[in-house]
Amino acid sequence: MASNESKNDLKKKRKQIQEEPEEEELSQAVGLEMLSDEEGDVSAASDDGEVDEFPEINAASDSESDDDGENEEKDEDEERDSDEEDEDDEETDSDNEINPFPQAKTIISDITKQPKRVFPEIEPDYDSDSSTEDDPNRIGNVPLHWYDDLPHIGYDMNGKQIFRPARGDELDKFLDTVEDPKSWMSAFDKSLQMDKPLTAEELDIIRRLQANEVPDVGYDPYEPTVEWFTGKGKEEKMPLSAAPEPKRRWVPSKWEKKKARETIIRAIRQGRIVPSKPNSAQPQFYSIWNEPTDSQHPPPLPAPKPALPTNAESYNPPEEYLPTEEERQEWEAQDKEDRERNFLPQKYGALRLVPAYGQFIQERFSRQLDLYMAPRIQRRRLQIDPDSLIPKLPSPSSLKPFPSYRGLWFTHGKGRARCLSVSLDGAWVVSGDEGGVVSLWEVTVGREVKRWTFSGKIGSLEWCPRTDVSFFVVGVEGHLHFVIPPNLPSGVLTVTQSLLAPGTLPPPPATPSPVKWVSSSSSASLDDPILTLQLPALSGLPGQITWHRRGDYLASVSNSEGEGSVWIHQISRRHSQAPFKKVKGSIQMVLFHPSRPEFFVATQRYVRMYNLAEQKLLKTLMPGIKWISSMDVHPSGDHLIVGGYDRKLCWFDLELSDKPYKNLRHVRYHTKAIRSLHFHPTYPLFASSSDDGTIQIFHARVYNDLMTDPLIVPLKILRGHDIKDGLGVLQVRWCGGQPWLASAGADGKVAVWCS
Amino acid sequence: MGRLRQKGKAGAAKAYVTRSQAIKKLQCSLADFRRLCILKGIFPREPKNKKRANKGSSAPATFYYAKDIAYIAHEPVLKKLREHKAFAKKLSRALGRGEWSSANSLEENKPVYRLDHIIKERYPTFIDAVRDIDDALCMVFLFASLPSTSRVPPSLTENCARLAAEWQLYIMHTRSLLKVFFSIKGIYYQADVMDQTVTWLVPYQFTQNIPSDVDVRVMLTFLELYQTLLGFVFFKLYTDAGLVYPPPLDAKKDEGAAGVGAFSLQEVQKSTFRPLVKGVDGNGRAVSSRDVRQTIKSIAASDSVSASADTSAPIVESIPGDVDEEFVPHPSRTDDQDASSLPTLHTLSTLPKPVSANIFAPCTFWISRETSRGIFEFLVRCFGGRIGWPASSGSGSPFDEDDDSITHVVIDRPLVEKPGETTEQRDRRLRRKYVQPQWVADCINAGRILLEEPYTQGKELPPHLSPFADHVEAYNPVAQPNIDDAEMAEVENDQESEKDHGVDGSDDDMSEQKSSAKQFVVEDAEDPAALRVAELAAEAAGVDYGTFEKGMNRLQKKAKAVPGMEQQDAEENMNKMLMSNRQRKLYEKIKYSEKKRAAERQKLEARRHTLDKEKKRKAKT
Repeated sequence: MASNESKNDLKKKRKQIQEEPEEEELSQAVGLEMLSDEEGDVSAASDDGEVDEFPEINAASDSESDDDGENEEKDEDEERDSDEEDEDDEETDSDNEINPFPQAKTIISDITKQPKRVFPEIEPDYDSDSSTEDDPNRIGNVPLHWYDDLPHIGYDMNGKQIFRPARGDELDKFLDTVEDPKSWMSAFDKSLQMDKPLTAEELDIIRRLQANEVPDVGYDPYEPTVEWFTGKGKEEKMPLSAAPEPKRRWVPSKWEKKKARETIIRAIRQGRIVPSKPNSAQPQFYSIWNEPTDSQHPPPLPAPKPALPTNAESYNPPEEYLPTEEERQEWEAQDKEDRERNFLPQKYGALRLVPAYGQFIQERFSRQLDLYMAPRIQRRRLQIDPDSLIPKLPSPSSLKPFPSYRGLWFTHGKGRARCLSVSLDGAWVVSGDEGGVVSLWEVTVGREVKRWTFSGKIGSLEWCPRTDVSFFVVGVEGHLHFVIPPNLPSGVLTVTQSLLAPGTLPPPPATPSPVKWVSSSSSASLDDPILTLQLPALSGLPGQITWHRRGDYLASVSNSEGEGSVWIHQISRRHSQAPFKKVKGSIQMVLFHPSRPEFFVATQRYVRMYNLAEQKLLKTLMPGIKWISSMDVHPSGDHLIVGGYDRKLCWFDLELSDKPYKNLRHVRYHTKAIRSLHFHPTYPLFASSSDDGTIQIFHARVYNDLMTDPLIVPLKILRGHDIKDGLGVLQVRWCGGQPWLASAGADGKVAVWCS
Repeated sequence: MGRLRQKGKAGAAKAYVTRSQAIKKLQCSLADFRRLCILKGIFPREPKNKKRANKGSSAPATFYYAKDIAYIAHEPVLKKLREHKAFAKKLSRALGRGEWSSANSLEENKPVYRLDHIIKERYPTFIDAVRDIDDALCMVFLFASLPSTSRVPPSLTENCARLAAEWQLYIMHTRSLLKVFFSIKGIYYQADVMDQTVTWLVPYQFTQNIPSDVDVRVMLTFLELYQTLLGFVFFKLYTDAGLVYPPPLDAKKDEGAAGVGAFSLQEVQKSTFRPLVKGVDGNGRAVSSRDVRQTIKSIAASDSVSASADTSAPIVESIPGDVDEEFVPHPSRTDDQDASSLPTLHTLSTLPKPVSANIFAPCTFWISRETSRGIFEFLVRCFGGRIGWPASSGSGSPFDEDDDSITHVVIDRPLVEKPGETTEQRDRRLRRKYVQPQWVADCINAGRILLEEPYTQGKELPPHLSPFADHVEAYNPVAQPNIDDAEMAEVENDQESEKDHGVDGSDDDMSEQKSSAKQFVVEDAEDPAALRVAELAAEAAGVDYGTFEKGMNRLQKKAKAVPGMEQQDAEENMNKMLMSNRQRKLYEKIKYSEKKRAAERQKLEARRHTLDKEKKRKAKT
């Protein structure tokens, strides 16, 4: 403990000692400066030992010695020694070289074309290390106080002792400073323990440091900026960072706001700002339309004005406007929205009796609701004469002849007259009913010539279109009967008989057909069919028979499903074949093309057109009918009409498209399912019959040039058939050569319509 | 292959937004959105394809143009509405905390929006504004007569009444009223202002209460807009007519229920025109010496170019002055030149009107106390008449009942014999014409003074017809019935007989008779022999000759009319088969409306016929 205390004491002492010289040095330093400034030339020669203290303004050394804390005297001396040594080093440097610092040269850079400073290269040889510089004292970097008690201060290059130079006491030092004018220009060299004069450069550095300047002479702190990365043409396109714009960039500064508030408060206090000034900035109304508007936005459309009041709204209307009791009740029973007028006309004898209108505010309000909530559309009011919308067609009277009245009735006894056929010359009609009766009668007078009776319903009837023979085919359940009418010329009869019942049968086909051809004996009477085709079992009633134009082939369509429904029979070869292996949907009708080897097949929804020679599908027509009932092809072969059970009739131009050219399905057309369609073979007419009991006659003119559209003109609606069990006119056929029409109805009557 | 198109990036999906989307985009409440739509005149649109506009959804929605919504998004009023929302929150907080002073200062700095720019945007020209003031006038006249409630403050009613009076004053001043119609809903007036016909409806003077099924907020928003609009329109109208706007109100007269008379129209004097305009500008800026110099310069320039005189005045006022100095306005010489040479609006409006505008000029009216003074004062003064009223109808009558100049008395009460009548009173009564109020309106609509006789006191009035044109084919009650009686009778008989058939059945002998008559008549009417035979047959069957002849005539007419017509009709009907679907629909629509109109007209004509017949029958008996 005692030793500690003594140590503390020692420290205190040392501090006192240390502080004193510092103060001295400071004052001296100040004085020195004064000298140098004022009378630099005069005192240039003065040399003083005190100057050597000058570089020792070093706090670090003090602290070091504090830490050591052993011997203050020694410490101090040693410090001083080392300082002196440093000084010596510098001195030697200055001695060896003319310039202690490498001199920089300013040259023009090759790359940037800007002036730049270049320092001389440092040669990395032995001399370049300052530690090996020519210091006479070669003891190295060891504490000098090791030599404090010795007479020498170190050793030279040859190992000889360097003796401590003689140093005067404090008085000598003072005298030196006074006598030697250059003493302030020398510093104490520690390693040699003696004063050494400072070089001019060193002095310059000292001066600069004292003047707070940059110690390096060549350094120019104010040289012009070289814009390496900024300036025109060097802007960076991309931001250096992807960080989003910080909020502080655009949020008004809070601090500035505070400052501004302070100034505003100050201004208010000083009365420069009056806080609650009455705002009389703008008058309420001024002339707003004096300047033209600068708005780019178009103004909203003006709202439609409400309708102006009519006589009915008068307080004293003419009496006919007053509603009757029923009208009043009806009006009151209606919903508000449904009412045609929002008031009931009333009559008051005098103006003074008119009460307030109860709905006034509601009506204003509903008007406002209309103004801002109702969608508005700009509608162009059509000023069209409605009659101009009706297509202008030639008058029917100019398109005569066409059937316009009923020529005669022919009545079947029982059952519906299902089918009929007119002979090629147009003189004879065969008609069949559901009772199995087939009647042959004359067109002109309606006299029945012959009657055949078959078992079951008659499904279809068709005359052979050949002129050299005369017979017709009757389709009944599972059979096709070939019947020769009576009273034929003998020539025709023999040809017909030889055709239907030839003496030598043609060779049977390679593949046996399920259809059997059975000829009755030729000698048999005309009451029996001369030839019968037995269709395969379960094929059902042949609903349609159609002839090829040459009269050799005929096709029959039975009402059974599947591939067995359609058969094509060839008379000359007595052979039948089913043209379709597989059929999609149930086949409604088939037709031969009048001139080309083509074949139309109507399924429930589509009409397909096949080439029989090449045996491939040509096209599929899409009439858009739900269920096709009938179709017919124009004698030219380029147009097809298709009728459906959904009252629709489509006209196809086969050259044009597989979509209908014209659809007829309107108020004035058939109101019920279409049953039958037929083109007149020579006149430009076609007829359609329907379950509504009417027959419609159309003029259908087809032009040869492809540019003119076919002309369709409705001519006449023929009424007369009764509707029975929801069925009307079941089949219509034109009489060849005359513009006459024969129609078979469900009421058991067959009519002939004449022009 | 073109660029892939993303769904919902173009077309209807982009052009339309639903209401909820719009509200979300604008970040305001539905009420605020409605308010904005009302103020800006933005209304929903009907997209051609709703599903496409709604991005595939078929849910019912209201659509707006996306551009309209973008337009609202930049609206200063929207900003003010947001500010107001913040203000309301602050105020409620201040009130909740009991910070009265801060609440007070908040209230003082309450955000207020102005609608000037909206008026300018919606009506780029003055004519646009005048064209659209119908609804505004109706609303203002309605609210002028409403009692004040919590939702309708008295100041609002007062302002509406003032605007209504200003409008009436203007119409009276310019004599631009065209038509008037007393309807059961109220009184329709039509005036011609700036070549635009303006029609407005004024309710009868009864106290009306706002019904509960009416959204007052919506009405008040509309009223807000309308008040501003009318203010600007009136300002322009008054200044163009050379009048001071607003016309000064005499408070004392107003208290005495002088109505329109409480306002006095002041001509703008030429010498005081400048400062007046400046006062209207209201910025209270003083005129600097620089202004004076500029004014002088402009005047000097206008000597050479007279056209620039009009523009110079506003420029002068727009430059703010800093040095106070007295400015004595000198009317520029060009002003006078302009006024003398070119026809200005002012001179045009003061041009003598056609005679119909002055039809009441020779008349002096006295209004009986049961007739509404406001209405008739307006009507009579619009057409140049003088009018007086008893003190019970309000103060300010220019003359009293004993005045000798009175020619007409508008009276609306039944005729009562007055036993104790002095000779003087009797003389006066005989000198004057006592007419019912309808006479005034009918005179105005006719454009001339009508005979007073059908309108005298106590008489049954002729019907009051609408002066507004209906569509061309509509029933005209004035025209003579063009269908001759016989035909109408036939129609009736037909109807009757049909009724008989339907109701009574076959055992009614009358119907039997008629049917038999028809039966006989079926034969060819052209052949006289056949006619004779039919006649005899009819007689044998006990049909009287009158019935037979009638039936005969009718048949002949039908026979004449039918064949040609029917044939053509049938042809056309056949041709309709070949119309395209679209044409057919259009055709049916047109035909339907035509038929409906014709049916309406026929109904009215038939009714008139029966009424006439009844009248005749009554007159006979």
